[in-house]
Amino acid sequence: MIICLTFLTLGIFLALSNNIKFLTRSVSDDQVIVFFLSETSSMETVAAIQKEMEDSRLFSRIRLVNREEALAAFKTKFPDLESVLQNLNRNPFPSSLEATFSRDSLNTAAGRDLVERMRTREGISDIQYNREWIERMRTFDRLIRAVGFFLGGILIFASFFIISNVIKLNVLARKNEIAILRLVGATNWFIRIPFVMEGVFLGLLGGVLAVFLLWLVTALFPLYLGSSPGVIGELIQFRFLSVSQILALLVSGSLIGFLGSFSSLSKFLKI
Amino acid sequence: MIELYHIWKKYQGNDWALSDVSFFINPGEFTFITGPSGSGKSTLLKILYRELLPTEGQLVIDQRNILKIPDNKLYELRRSMGIVFQDFRLLFHKSVFENVAVALRILGMTGKDIRTRVFNALRMVSLQKKMWELPSRLSYGEQQRVAIARAIVNNPKIILADEPTGNLDIKLAFEIMSLFQEINEKGTTVIICTHDRELIRYFGHSILFLFKGRVLRKEQL
Repeated sequence: MIICLTFLTLGIFLALSNNIKFLTRSVSDDQVIVFFLSETSSMETVAAIQKEMEDSRLFSRIRLVNREEALAAFKTKFPDLESVLQNLNRNPFPSSLEATFSRDSLNTAAGRDLVERMRTREGISDIQYNREWIERMRTFDRLIRAVGFFLGGILIFASFFIISNVIKLNVLARKNEIAILRLVGATNWFIRIPFVMEGVFLGLLGGVLAVFLLWLVTALFPLYLGSSPGVIGELIQFRFLSVSQILALLVSGSLIGFLGSFSSLSKFLKI
Repeated sequence: MIELYHIWKKYQGNDWALSDVSFFINPGEFTFITGPSGSGKSTLLKILYRELLPTEGQLVIDQRNILKIPDNKLYELRRSMGIVFQDFRLLFHKSVFENVAVALRILGMTGKDIRTRVFNALRMVSLQKKMWELPSRLSYGEQQRVAIARAIVNNPKIILADEPTGNLDIKLAFEIMSLFQEINEKGTTVIICTHDRELIRYFGHSILFLFKGRVLRKEQL
């Protein structure tokens, strides 16, 4: 049970991390910066801004998004909120210049200088640059993982000692049999193998149960939220662990079982 | 050939369980080790199969220094021996067949080889019809015969027995000793610790007398 809880804890934090990463990616791209244009900007002002951006050679792509395109994109992404727009008399979305930083210029001083210059430039009303938000999300993700691994690490130690003690009790229960095996000439490995396999099995079983329980939670939680979570439902799609993460949990469980039983046999039986 | 040179053994405290024990046992010999309780018989036997290490001395079996064998290689020595105890030391949750077969499974044998050899060993001790019984359903004499079958199933060079008739009545004791004699006649060295003078007198052979950890004498009858 403790092994199951250990890997369930690790699995929960890994799944949380997966979801944070997915959420971060789906909401924004840290390479994209959006310069919202003032309503009163003339075509010449917009062209000048665009030229200034192109001349900076910081962007791999610059695209002008007019107000109608912005409205259409919003309706596509958030269909549930279309009814809100119908109550407005006018299109609330401004035109914008969407620019994608090139890989080389991402997070450079030149990029930051340009962004600061553009904040006060005539013709630009606002700038949406999600990099800070994404950095915070990434920090949060790292925090989640650190907490998960810290708690998981403590539970792994507990699992190790519990398996070790379970094996010790089994050895005690089979003390006579082990003594007879030694007398008839069994090697240490012949005596060890059944106990080691038992430890591996316990660890693996704990891992499998944990993965199953986590899958259950991932599958049932959206049902608990209900069928109309609206915007939140668009953003949050509970993601299970990746195949490599599942394998890592199962292998870790088996390994803890192996080490726990091996260590117990070495100390207790001195083999 | 079993050779003991100046074996001393002290447990905790100042008393010596064995003091300067030296003797030889030739291949194929049948030897009784006898003496009163506390004379060191069991201690001597335990040293022979390396359950204990002596405080001093040398033990050589077939020109191999037994005391220098590392612990993880002891199984090689034990496989060349069959050991029988007063309390039988059977696996009571396993059948007679499995109790005898365990001595072959540890050698990596499987299937038909095991069945053949176990059957032959049980036939030698007249228990082939009780192969699938649990030891708890057997008499004490039959249980000891299962232990003997296990001891001989892999054709060891040496049989060691520590008071094998201690829990048996005189009739059964004689039956068991007859078995050991039969095994010895096939060429196996047999060493039996016992304080039963009747058995020693009847079965004779070579006798090593111990008293307070010392060898008094060795006789050949």
